[in-house]
Amino acid sequence: MIFLRRQGPLLVTLITGLVFAAQYYVPHPASEQMLTSVTKWLQIIGGFALVLGVSSLFHVHAAKIRRKEAGWGYSFVLYVGMLGTIALGFWSNGKEAIDGTMTAFGWIYNYMMVPLQGTMFAILAFFIASAAYRSFRARSREAAVLLIAAVIVMMGRVPLGEYLIPISGDLSQWILNVLNASVRRAILIGVSLGTVALSIKIIFGMERSYLGGGKE
Amino acid sequence: MTFAERMLKIDRRIIFLVIGLCTLIPLLYPVGLPIKISPEVRGVYDHIESLPEGSVFLLSLDFDPASKPELMPQSISLLRHAFRKKLRVIALTLWVSGTGMADQVVTQVAREMGKESGKDYVFLGWSPGGTAVIINMGQDLYGAFPADYNGKPTKGLSVLQGVASLRDVNYAVSLGAGNPGVEAWYVFGKDKYKFELGGGCTGVMAPGLYPLLRSGQINGLIGGLRGAAEYEILIDQKGKAVAGMDAQSATHLAIIVLVVLCNLFYFASRNIARRQSQSGA
Repeated sequence: MIFLRRQGPLLVTLITGLVFAAQYYVPHPASEQMLTSVTKWLQIIGGFALVLGVSSLFHVHAAKIRRKEAGWGYSFVLYVGMLGTIALGFWSNGKEAIDGTMTAFGWIYNYMMVPLQGTMFAILAFFIASAAYRSFRARSREAAVLLIAAVIVMMGRVPLGEYLIPISGDLSQWILNVLNASVRRAILIGVSLGTVALSIKIIFGMERSYLGGGKE
Repeated sequence: MTFAERMLKIDRRIIFLVIGLCTLIPLLYPVGLPIKISPEVRGVYDHIESLPEGSVFLLSLDFDPASKPELMPQSISLLRHAFRKKLRVIALTLWVSGTGMADQVVTQVAREMGKESGKDYVFLGWSPGGTAVIINMGQDLYGAFPADYNGKPTKGLSVLQGVASLRDVNYAVSLGAGNPGVEAWYVFGKDKYKFELGGGCTGVMAPGLYPLLRSGQINGLIGGLRGAAEYEILIDQKGKAVAGMDAQSATHLAIIVLVVLCNLFYFASRNIARRQSQSGA
């Protein structure tokens, strides 16, 4: 059992890690065929991960309802919504519309999910404005620089800003293209190097936290 | 409590009202200020313009309804442009929650332009796996999508004639609202399968994609509603993005004014507090 819990996964990680790192540089048809097969596995595993995620969500909320925890009513709404959508999804064969006619599944999508998600995102504009008023203050020199840059970019990204201060468009472009791009690139390089280092540690079994801390 | 301090603690509902009015009034009474075309958006437009008739154009609509106001106008403009240029369009999504919306926009624009499914365009729908789908399409497009969204087998569709994998795509654009999106299409797609790539994204994501743009990893970027408005002007078909630019202008200006006011009140209250402590000492 210990082999299946520890050595087995470590061995699979080592072999697949090394093989697929090398595969990128080997354009031989056999190597490409191997990649094709494995990406198909990945797609299948992705499908199962979805099932796992849904069942886990059901499990968590079922426990909440059983114990009548605070907000258990929302869990009940989640259950009704999810089961109802799944049932209608199967009934409509997963299609929002068939031959131009909206299905019940499509109705849920168009008249519930789309407006709900849109509303959630739209509310952000109000909260951002309120938060900006309360916290965007030039308390230090660094905060003042951030504030000025933000105002220039906000002006430069809209026609009214460019109309009132014509140079704001070019200044905003310069900030995005030079200052922002260079700093982002530096962060990206740092993150990538960190990813490479972590990958090497995982492949060679130095980093084992992904195995979980179960009993051996 | 001084006036400045009172203003700093203003009821947030007043701010909500200001933002609401700044959005609503320009939508009801549009001004139509001129919109300047940025080189990033022109990059995507020029590349599509340069493609010969019958070239393969892949559009990945990687967003969900939350990003609809920004990315839907981009999708409509790009599809109109591609169909007008008589390109063969392959559309798909990597976001399961965006499948219905993507199908609607592709079907609607195709119908408007008199295009036929399977012959001029194909909507492949969604397939699980996220970034693995990109690799799988790069290896074997028919393996990744054996059937299109309507259940028709992809093998044999005239729109996919001569297309075996992503290597046969002339130009791809990912309209992404997160991950998987533009970055994933570069890392797992363009880098290995060597097709030209452009991007579109929400306004908040755009600064994060500038390193890819500056290094040529993507040849153009349509950022947010502003980018969509620029594209609508380029293809000479003004739509929701152009209509929304006045509202965006007004809200940006309102936020700037609010930030300036908050700083004025902040410094005023700080000065008063300092003076009071000096006189107390």
